[in-house]
Amino acid sequence: LALALSRPRGEDNIISEEEAAQYDRQIRLWGLDAQKRLRGSRVLLVGLRGLGAEVAKNLILAGVKGLTLLDHEQVTEESRRAQFLIPVDADGQNQAQASLERAQLLNPMVEVKVDTDAVESKLDDFFFRFDAVCLTRCSKDLMVRVDQLCASRNIKVFCGDVYGYHGYMFSDLGQEHHYVEEKPKVVKGSNEANDGPEAKKRKVDPNETTMVKKTISFCSLKEALEVDWTNEKAKSSLKRTPADYFLLQVLLKFRTDKGRDPQPDSFAEDSQLLLQIRDDVLETMGLSSELLPNTFVSYCFSEMAPVCAVVGGVLGQEIVKALSQRDAPHRNFFFFDGLKGSGVVDYFGSK
Amino acid sequence: TEVPTMAQLVGPLRKELADSLFSCRVLVVGAGGIGCELLKNLVLTGFKNIEVIDLDTIDVSNLNRQFLFQKKHVGKSKAQVAKESVLRFCPSANITAYHDSIMNPDYNVEFFRNFQLVMNALDNRAARNHVNRMCLAADIPLIESGTAGYLGQVTVIKKGQTECYECQPKPTQKTFPGCTIRNTPSEPIHCIVWAKYLFNQLFGEEDADQEVSPDTADPEAAWNPADAAARATASDQDGDIKRVSTKEWARSTGYDPVKLFNKLFKDDIMYLLTMDKLWKKRKAPLPLDWTEIQQIESSQEEACGTGLKDQQVLGVQGYTQLFRRSVETLRSQLIEKGEGAELVWDKDDPPAMDFVTAAANLRMNVFSMNMKSRFDVKSMAGNIIPAIATTNAVIAGLIVLEALKILNSDFDQCRTVSLRSQSNLMCTRPLYVQIEDGKGTILISSEEGETEANNNKFLSDFGIRNGSRLQADDFLQDYTLLVNVIHSEELEKDVEFEVVGDAPDKAPAPSAPEEGKNIANGNKDSAQPSTSSKAAAEDDDVLIIDSDEEPSSSTMEASPESSNRKRKHHDADDAASKRKRLDQQPADDDEDIIALD
Repeated sequence: LALALSRPRGEDNIISEEEAAQYDRQIRLWGLDAQKRLRGSRVLLVGLRGLGAEVAKNLILAGVKGLTLLDHEQVTEESRRAQFLIPVDADGQNQAQASLERAQLLNPMVEVKVDTDAVESKLDDFFFRFDAVCLTRCSKDLMVRVDQLCASRNIKVFCGDVYGYHGYMFSDLGQEHHYVEEKPKVVKGSNEANDGPEAKKRKVDPNETTMVKKTISFCSLKEALEVDWTNEKAKSSLKRTPADYFLLQVLLKFRTDKGRDPQPDSFAEDSQLLLQIRDDVLETMGLSSELLPNTFVSYCFSEMAPVCAVVGGVLGQEIVKALSQRDAPHRNFFFFDGLKGSGVVDYFGSK
Repeated sequence: TEVPTMAQLVGPLRKELADSLFSCRVLVVGAGGIGCELLKNLVLTGFKNIEVIDLDTIDVSNLNRQFLFQKKHVGKSKAQVAKESVLRFCPSANITAYHDSIMNPDYNVEFFRNFQLVMNALDNRAARNHVNRMCLAADIPLIESGTAGYLGQVTVIKKGQTECYECQPKPTQKTFPGCTIRNTPSEPIHCIVWAKYLFNQLFGEEDADQEVSPDTADPEAAWNPADAAARATASDQDGDIKRVSTKEWARSTGYDPVKLFNKLFKDDIMYLLTMDKLWKKRKAPLPLDWTEIQQIESSQEEACGTGLKDQQVLGVQGYTQLFRRSVETLRSQLIEKGEGAELVWDKDDPPAMDFVTAAANLRMNVFSMNMKSRFDVKSMAGNIIPAIATTNAVIAGLIVLEALKILNSDFDQCRTVSLRSQSNLMCTRPLYVQIEDGKGTILISSEEGETEANNNKFLSDFGIRNGSRLQADDFLQDYTLLVNVIHSEELEKDVEFEVVGDAPDKAPAPSAPEEGKNIANGNKDSAQPSTSSKAAAEDDDVLIIDSDEEPSSSTMEASPESSNRKRKHHDADDAASKRKRLDQQPADDDEDIIALD
């Protein structure tokens, strides 16, 4: 454990005055050590639509060392929805390229780069140069492949998407993710100088805290998506399972089959297909179609900007936590339903 | 299979909703952490007519989260720059920006009636109260929100449908009794408050409620009334503690740092020692002597190594030198300003901050407390609330989602949403404990106020006896717990109850704390404190939200008429209230608070 937390990845260990001033309010929250680890981290972000733009903003503001924006698609009117980094006159340009200027201006201290290749075309070692990888708008197969590739090398893997009013994020921080939590110090009570000269002993000293080291393990994306619902234990937990998990399965299948997400201008045919896929997917899992009522099709097209903000905020913070090795990470899904305004963290996969 | 028919979509929205967004007018109060995120969300969602107001200017410490601002904008109006930045990615938006205070009487009820919706993105109680009242008067829905650290909350306020912002009493500012500040500090915050008072007494506006000298009228000090009288007389003769104001005295010495030091940290302390009753159960303070300190081998100030310079904790010699340097600098500032000049304390003014750091630490040392770094003192003295982009992003997203429900007139869908630790977004829905007697009598409810009347009753008042059964329902988890009540004569002394039996079956638990899944009904146990919640009132369930940060030099000037208020209690953030009040406020308004979990 001591080894895993020993050195921040930063090349130089000194925080400049400029950084101290700019990051003051967050250093006061997560501490200088966490900030240094962020400062030494390189992140790959795939997909620069609404959710991607939010994650990019959050990571750049947090002060990572470098962020690579990867996207092979071109800007369209639809893709500019919920995307505040792309200028209005950039239709036809590459999405990542068009986002670069504004992204860089968010924080000149971060190295923001662009890659216009399709992520499917990237070889394994491309991913190894990063400390964390965040995949949006990717096919299930690609996400499974990258997850398998990275998790074993202690590269943190994150996936996320926004479909209309719904969104999710997933994380795989590997078999052994080490982190610290700050807890109030339990003071035994002594006569030594402490934060108060009272004769009475105080159990918990409100002014002193201590760092507690912890370890947690994650399962792969493949395992998380291939839960066996036919056994009794899984069946009994169905009542408490968010419908969003099944919605995700449906949308990932749509993406695989059609090579794109549901589009507003093909609403009629896409919604038919979604219902069909819903039936197929749930049947394959041995589950009832009632788990995902028909109404879902009305609310999973395009990206809702506020939903991108919520999911992007949670996802961004999870990446910050994982890179800084501070505070308990979510394990392993976060689902957000923008219609209800409810968000839950839930676990799927092997124990 | 039947497809639900829908009018055409405009992106993710039904066309009717998209159209109503196009025509409605909304007001955003505040263009800071929440405000920037909110403006972005509003225009991207399709709101066209937006007005934004903020009295503040941009500071470098804003740039880690207020993403509409860049370094080159420091010093400029937040509202103005926010508007310009938003227009760059949404040129068709119709935005009006006001660099002004919302409490300015120009923004009257008629002004508020122009809008279909008002959204607060504020950081102080006074403005929130004000907007709350204006919205009630104008009968306009208001979305209230706040963040601090990792936590946040969104609430909808609509006259006649929900309670208003002021309906629930809010925790008040933590205050300290005068004698604690002047005679018997026991925590660093007491010393810091003392140091801020000292600053005002020496360099700023003197306030009778901000005395720093020993308090001879301390009820704890008197062995008997005759003694107290004797003390009071003695003090008049002893060093003119009462007769001459601190400032006059300091002036008479030419603001000599050595004389100041010896009075504050030696003479006054020795005086306190004569009040021996105070020290019967407390560790007595240890006076410092300037000459002695100079003679101690001064340890080289260590290279700050890999830490922030400000996070170093110096020794007594270090803080003594800092005391001297800052007094000399402040003295020069006074001289420069001329006759009758007064300085205003500002956490971002280095000598002012140095002075408080030094004076507070010297006092901490006198009273045997561990000294604090400038970084930590600044947090406490300046009421700094740690803040990050992501929390604000989430909360601002939730605000817009509530806004859409309001525009759809779906008020019954509106929820108070809390962002708690582990990102569980808890919509407040009830948690009940009721007797399993089929009558539905609810004993304990998580809905505020619903079962207050039961708090002091006995179980037997409800007919509960040995063998009765209680049912606890958690609707969000769809989870029910049955509790059998069994009477026992054999509990340990002072133990009122004991829980026995097998742990109930839970949903598959992640190894992250299970508490994230509970409905956080204000249950203190379920929220992990943010790491900097050191100023929190201990029993506080209430979330966050008011910062009232001490002003930096970049904010607008406080209006002069706010400066003569007298108050009984010693509040940690006295000066900040002066900044925020740009018009007359009644003298007994509640102070803004920091309420953290």
